[in-house]
Amino acid sequence: MAGHKTDPMISRRALLASTAAAALVGSTQAKARFLSGEVPWAPGAATPPEPALPGGWIYFTPDEARAVEAIVERLIPADELSPSGKDAGCAVFIDRQLAGPYGGAERLYMKPPFVAGTAPEFGPQSPLSPAQQYRVALKSLDAYCRSNFGGKGFAELAPEERDKVLAAMEKGEPKFDGFGSRPFFNLVLQNTMEGFFADPIYGGNRDMVGWKLIGFPGARYDYRDFIDHVTEPYTLPPVSLQGRAGWNPGR
Amino acid sequence: MKRALSLAASVLGLALAGGSTAALADGQDYVTITRGQYLATAGDCVSCHTAPGGKPFAGGRGIMTPFGVIYTPNITPDRETGLGAWSNDDFVAAMQHGVGKDGELLYPALPYPYYTKVTRTDLVAIKAYLDTLDPVRNEAPPNGLPFPLNIRTALMGWNMLFFTPGEFQPVAGKSDEWNRGAYLVEGLGHCGACHTPKNALGGDKGDKVLAGGVLDEWTAPNLGGDLRTGLGAWSTEDIVQYLKTGRNAKSAASGPMAEVVYYSTQHMTDADLKAMATYLKDRAGAPAPVAPQPVAATDPVMQAGLAIYQDNCSACHVSSGEGIARLFPALKGSAVVQADEPETLVRVVVQGTRAAATRAAPTGPGMPAFDWKLSDAQVASLLTYIRNAWGNAAAPVSADTVKKIHGRLTDTAATP
Repeated sequence: MAGHKTDPMISRRALLASTAAAALVGSTQAKARFLSGEVPWAPGAATPPEPALPGGWIYFTPDEARAVEAIVERLIPADELSPSGKDAGCAVFIDRQLAGPYGGAERLYMKPPFVAGTAPEFGPQSPLSPAQQYRVALKSLDAYCRSNFGGKGFAELAPEERDKVLAAMEKGEPKFDGFGSRPFFNLVLQNTMEGFFADPIYGGNRDMVGWKLIGFPGARYDYRDFIDHVTEPYTLPPVSLQGRAGWNPGR
Repeated sequence: MKRALSLAASVLGLALAGGSTAALADGQDYVTITRGQYLATAGDCVSCHTAPGGKPFAGGRGIMTPFGVIYTPNITPDRETGLGAWSNDDFVAAMQHGVGKDGELLYPALPYPYYTKVTRTDLVAIKAYLDTLDPVRNEAPPNGLPFPLNIRTALMGWNMLFFTPGEFQPVAGKSDEWNRGAYLVEGLGHCGACHTPKNALGGDKGDKVLAGGVLDEWTAPNLGGDLRTGLGAWSTEDIVQYLKTGRNAKSAASGPMAEVVYYSTQHMTDADLKAMATYLKDRAGAPAPVAPQPVAATDPVMQAGLAIYQDNCSACHVSSGEGIARLFPALKGSAVVQADEPETLVRVVVQGTRAAATRAAPTGPGMPAFDWKLSDAQVASLLTYIRNAWGNAAAPVSADTVKKIHGRLTDTAATP
């Protein structure tokens, strides 16, 4: 440390900042536990991930589900590389997410004021939870399609017509009530990508199609056998948190 | 407790000599008491005679036997519920002959078939130590034994069949160290209580001493010299390290053995541990079981097991099965992995386990439970794989076997 000058101002400032931080921490309920001695362990203890519930739609109405499936089918169309977003289960993923804490905005600050036109770092500025945003925007989308495409809902449109509507939404052209067409487009696009690449236990990424597409090995955490062979392809297939077909003999 | 044990360790110099007759005057002197404390530690009395969350030595722990649960008695000097009213002769009779203070026969859950080898001098020292404990009033719950096992006189026949009383006799021509090891292993250490297989009536199979046993769904491996299922690949130093720290480069103690290391062997002197290891490496063991032909790597079950191993196990136990020395046990060449009985393997995969956390190795690394993601059939494939990969060879494990063992698992054997 010989060559370094110590600046008394900075150290005082650091001291004040750290005191303030300590006061902040001290005033909130501490959730951390103090451990001493051995790490606690109990036989059979586990906190497994909660898989998406099987069965029909939980949050979406049948009409909403059809519309969302029609959207994700165009955002990720089936081609030689992968099945469509619909066939990969992205709509199921979104349905389960909207029925859970994400849909209810349980981890977002949801008190006013909500100010339009703020910079992105101010976060979402809608009083609606994601689940409510879908409900409101899908209603607007349905009305928009019925008045512009001869009474047809979005799901009944031809693929090219759907692409046109989506492209317009991306630019924010259709006027939606309550939640704008452009933020809704961004929301669905974001959730569709999440559904395509999240672990299959959450309802999307069926048969790990998203991971196979990009060569992601899934829930693995040991690459010691491969780290010195960077020029060779990685051969192990992707694995979900709940396994893969190869765990059963003959599969 | 721990302070008491470290006190024991601090007077090791005094406690070392097995046959010391220095302090027999009245059994109340410091030397005898501290020697008794060391011997009580070597005998691991506290492990069984303490209920979960209970006062040390106050009894009440349920010992799971194939015949029912037997609750350990209070051995603190409480006059009504403990050993307070017991004379030295009463205590020696219980330990050497399995006879209680009122002449009743004791269940061999008290390992008197082993303690019978302990010298009277040592037993009196243990009693002197127990007499210094705080008396705790604690009556053990009634045993859960069915008729006719609840009739203690039934034990007369058992003793006739399976019990040979008599203090340990040194073997001529063997070193003092070897004989000290034999005395500890066969007597106070009562290793055979778990490591010797039992017959249908719970007696030791005389031709298979220390050849490996099963209790409460834990496999106690063969302590013979077999390379595959025994201690053949372990050096004397490996054994000493295991008993002293709960680990060595190949394995880690968990389950009931973790208790033994935690409460008992980690507090023993290096000389005593080396004596035990010397004896274990040199004794003439039962003939090694014949190694089966390993299951072929191309077998679909082996392929499934490999996939499960790669995805769930290799991060710690390494794809080569060699583990990480002193942290994650090696499965390659492991005796417990290749034991005939897969109880420990099923238990450890289903429930997880934790290595003993000792003074020398205080971390106590744990293995998580896998029952939430692996079916019994998948556990069976995995076990068949690890028993037959990397040069290992052992009988495949069926899904049925896993299901049966899984159904019997209790969480009574949590690592301390």
